[in-house]
Amino acid sequence: MALSLLESEAPDLSRDGLNTQGVYIYRPANAKPNKPQNERPPKRRKVESDGQEKQEEKSQGAQARPFVPLLNGEESASSVDLRYNAYQRLWSKQEAKIQEVLEDVDSKILEEVSSFVKESSAQIYDGCIPSALVTVGSNVSSLGRLVTRLNERLITSGEGGVVVLESGDAPNIKTTLKNIIRAAVTNTEGNDGYQSFLTDREGPRLLAYDLDLLGDYVQRKGVTKLVLAFRDSEAFDPNLLTDLLSLLSSWLDRIPFTLLFGISTSVELFEGRLPRSSVALLRGQYFELHEASNCVDRIYERLQADPDGEFWLGRSITGVLFERTSDYFYTPEAFCRTVKYAYMSHFFANPLAVLFSKDSASAGLPHGKLCQAVRNLPSFRALCEDLVEDGHSKQVRNLLENDEYLFQECLKYLETGQKQMRNIFEAVKSTHTFLKHLNLSKKIGVSDISILALSGELHNSQIVNDILNTMKTLDSEGLKGLLATVPENLADSPQVREIQRDFEALLEAYPNSKPLQSGYDNRNSVAKVTVVQQRVQVTKSKAKQPKQNVEYTQILDRFHATLGAYFAETLVGPQDLYLYEVFLLDMRYPLKDTVAPRPRFAIERALSSPFDYLISTSDTPENRLSAKQPVTAILYQLYLESGAIVNAHDLWSAFYAVFESDQGDECDERVIMALFYRALSELKALGVVKNSRKKVDHIAKTSWAGL
Amino acid sequence: MLPTEVSRSISQQWPCRELQSRQLASLFSPHTASPSTLVVHGISATCKSTIVRAVVSTLQVPHAIVRSTECITGRHLLTKILWTTLEALSRKNEWEKFGKGRCEHVSALVVLLGEILASSEDGKFVLILDGIDKQREAPQTLLAALARLGEVIPSLCVVLILSSTPRPLFLQAVAVPHVSFPPYTRSEATRIILNADSPFVDGLPVEVVTKVYPQFVSTIFDSLVGPTASSIPVFRSICDKLWPQFVAPIVNGETPPGGTGEWDFMRLLVRNRPLFRQQGEAALVHHIVPEEPTQEAGAIAKPSLKAVSAPSPLPSLPYFATLILTSAYLASHIPQRLDTIFFSKFSSSSLSARNKRAHHRRRLKLLSRAQAEDKKANNPSTPGKGKRQKTRITKSTLESAFASSSATTSAPGGAPGVTGPSTILTARPFPLERLVAIYHAIDPNPPANPIKTAAVSDAIYAELATLRRLRLVVPAGARDSSGGSGRVGGGPSGATSLSSGNTTADAGDKWCVNVSGDWIGEVAKEVGVEVGEWLAGGLD
Repeated sequence: MALSLLESEAPDLSRDGLNTQGVYIYRPANAKPNKPQNERPPKRRKVESDGQEKQEEKSQGAQARPFVPLLNGEESASSVDLRYNAYQRLWSKQEAKIQEVLEDVDSKILEEVSSFVKESSAQIYDGCIPSALVTVGSNVSSLGRLVTRLNERLITSGEGGVVVLESGDAPNIKTTLKNIIRAAVTNTEGNDGYQSFLTDREGPRLLAYDLDLLGDYVQRKGVTKLVLAFRDSEAFDPNLLTDLLSLLSSWLDRIPFTLLFGISTSVELFEGRLPRSSVALLRGQYFELHEASNCVDRIYERLQADPDGEFWLGRSITGVLFERTSDYFYTPEAFCRTVKYAYMSHFFANPLAVLFSKDSASAGLPHGKLCQAVRNLPSFRALCEDLVEDGHSKQVRNLLENDEYLFQECLKYLETGQKQMRNIFEAVKSTHTFLKHLNLSKKIGVSDISILALSGELHNSQIVNDILNTMKTLDSEGLKGLLATVPENLADSPQVREIQRDFEALLEAYPNSKPLQSGYDNRNSVAKVTVVQQRVQVTKSKAKQPKQNVEYTQILDRFHATLGAYFAETLVGPQDLYLYEVFLLDMRYPLKDTVAPRPRFAIERALSSPFDYLISTSDTPENRLSAKQPVTAILYQLYLESGAIVNAHDLWSAFYAVFESDQGDECDERVIMALFYRALSELKALGVVKNSRKKVDHIAKTSWAGL
Repeated sequence: MLPTEVSRSISQQWPCRELQSRQLASLFSPHTASPSTLVVHGISATCKSTIVRAVVSTLQVPHAIVRSTECITGRHLLTKILWTTLEALSRKNEWEKFGKGRCEHVSALVVLLGEILASSEDGKFVLILDGIDKQREAPQTLLAALARLGEVIPSLCVVLILSSTPRPLFLQAVAVPHVSFPPYTRSEATRIILNADSPFVDGLPVEVVTKVYPQFVSTIFDSLVGPTASSIPVFRSICDKLWPQFVAPIVNGETPPGGTGEWDFMRLLVRNRPLFRQQGEAALVHHIVPEEPTQEAGAIAKPSLKAVSAPSPLPSLPYFATLILTSAYLASHIPQRLDTIFFSKFSSSSLSARNKRAHHRRRLKLLSRAQAEDKKANNPSTPGKGKRQKTRITKSTLESAFASSSATTSAPGGAPGVTGPSTILTARPFPLERLVAIYHAIDPNPPANPIKTAAVSDAIYAELATLRRLRLVVPAGARDSSGGSGRVGGGPSGATSLSSGNTTADAGDKWCVNVSGDWIGEVAKEVGVEVGEWLAGGLD
């Protein structure tokens, strides 16, 4: 028995291997003598336990050390783990924040849509299918979040559910209906419930695409709302949509459908694409979801400007991120993935990231290599130079020679640097609130201010100047409001407290007067026109101010000075902070190429100058066309010189000439011809040339370099 | 019950169909033998199904109704016929006897139906197939086969309700009785509307309603419903919508002009002339999101221009995608031979190029003037005998292109009515390389150093994939194939290549823009490109 079991297992294993094996020897099953002839071949079974174990092992192995040792591989294992753990800790915190923002951002629309779903019915709309048109703009993913939460609500209230339909689920009407029915049933009953629903019913077995099934389900469960959400309604085949709509509307008396269309372009266009007879079947409302940029701005603010931040993205990364969101189709989720990639690349590739770990000091790591790395940092050099200038040469010597001392100092500088970064972002946030408060500009978002601040230009920027100038002209009501929005850090300083106290005292002293006017207010100046020797002179002079206004102006002056000093002090360039390399990532390149890869550019470059990628065998690095280059590259460069169509024979003779000039008489024409054919077919496979229909012996150019 | 009685009882609820209901009632009458097959035809909204249903239920003939729109395939239809028949005869729990509830072919249906009807005691059974000409995935012989059902089974009468006018002998059988439901005439339609009560308006005297409403309804028919051949429901909804606004002057107590002190129909009509022009025409088109009715009376006098109900008529595409869409539009609508003149940067500054361009515009202007005069003379321009007309882009074609709503130009397969030499109306396919080249030409913020900046084509491809998903730019092949989808006998429309998952494209494949110019122009303006500047002929 055991023997036969073993034998029946054996072909199983080999067959599993066949999936990946290219070549094998065929052994007919009945070649085995001891097997009965007419026994069925053993059925293939899924060997689950085996594969799972293997996967688990693998994942455990990966879990153990996802990062590689840096510093030429000399980094210790514990330090690698510390980096990894620091990354995990930091990112999980940030991810939670992102989720919070994403859930919060559409909650209002969710309320509106769910109340629409609740209230609308076919009766209200005289037999039309109630439909909500949700314009999502370029924020394509937001509808998915909305729909999931709507589904949760409907299920918990027992009213029904949401069936999400994507264009990929709808290749033809049969499959679409099958998917709708299956999704609707599994939504509440689960997959097994669907199977038993199909089989355990009275009467004949229905076809899987028969909406009778769904009608039955609706009746049985007492569903009152069945929402059908078309996530990307533009991508659906219009013919299919027309068909589906007419079908749904004829079932509307039995199944309470409500439709939800996600529209990325515009309602008008969506309507225009459908035939009028289908449009006449629908009636409803539209809802507008927030633009992606709005959501992304909030996420960015949470990530960077939260008071417990530890690690920041620099100016150029921020620039890349916001360029992507404003210019391209870029969902908030994609934004977060990019940020995650940036975080990951920092912790993966920067050995100094180990300093983030809380217990890096106590771990007692050997930090020889680490300290050497620190000493090579540009910001460390700047630090040493500053110290020497200030006359602390002994401290510098200590830093350079004593590893332990340097390590402790590093931790200290890291902390102060982080604190300064937090201050910068606090200043950014308060700049934003000031802007809003003073009605200066509504368009400038946190991201714009952040970019300025991260490049260290905010202090001298127009924005801060505007704030300071406008502030001077505020009346007392305005100042009161402004003082309420002052960041905590600043509000705690003695100067501001004193200003606040004096201000309140002033207000109390003159309780019934109108709001106090600032001396800088234009309304208080008087324009005087005098005619001197037939010339008109306009002189402005200050009107005489009442005493309380003069006092108020003094307070304003003091506040102005304090605020100016605060900005000057806080808004330093992050690149000037010591050890900024640890807590600030500002490398644009790996990120940009990962987010927006450029395959065509790379292929064109590889073909036109192959030695950018390959090691040249010739001694003189030359860009000239030579036989040493790969043949496809040679042919491509010849091709670049041609016009829209090119005679194949001309191309061949030019190709041959390259080899002839290089190898002289000893070149073998037949070999080169073979190479030519290979190169040409490779170009064809790359989609660069194709056969020309105009002339038989010509090939047509289909791609131009440098576009 | 006599046919006349039947028709009288029905016409109370559905007037103006006495003739048809009498015909049907006499054909279905339980006392006479019914024809084996009966065809009922007429365009949509002519009360076909309702009258047939009403007749059979008044006569209490055993019957089954199958709605073809609910059947996905031919097999589904046959199965459904079987079940509804069983259900109508209340023998649903005997389904296992008759083919186990399965029926995959018409010949099986004949046998099963025959068995069922033979074993039931009722003399006559009417099977109504509603909208059978719209059946999806029907085999070609379905209609003819269904018409034979009644011949094989004596007690069965098959009623085929068609919404298209049948061709002669389309059932391959002679002398099949047809009952035609013609569209309602003017007097019938107004009678139907007047049969129902007028929409209630608060504060309107009853005598005004009885006097003015009939005139109002017939005016609506003459001005809006008749010319557009609209159906009764549309007629009714227009009346419901416009009536309160029409009588608003009376309700608001405005003094009528002329000093007679009384509003009569003519005065109201003169007063509300704009109502018929703007709101009336808007009311003809159904929108998914109905426009909010303007309650204030002042709005009637000067109709607000923003009649568009959509939140933002323009889609909010990102900057880069908008630019690509604009280039795609230009690539589709400018003949390729004019590319060097209109886009080449080398020639743009030279004197000769400017002269050339000016020459083109002058010529186009002359042409357009000539064409406008042609139109004035009102002779339908017959294309020269066999002589191929040159592609002309004229101002008038441009204008008509821009005026045409997105519905006509963006409908897949293009509007079949639009033929002829116009190049603007039909977007023509272009290769991708041309799109990229035009993108470089129209880029409003060109890179400072074009040699050094990296190529953008990769970014363009990525965005183009999204635009394709939104069906703003589509592969040219797919656009053509999505044109016709056969219903009866068409089989599954070969649209598998259209499925959005498929994004393969070969190098030489052509693409085509799939939206109308009017909003591309506006969208492009937002990113700083004037489409009119680039379009051949310009829009000056």
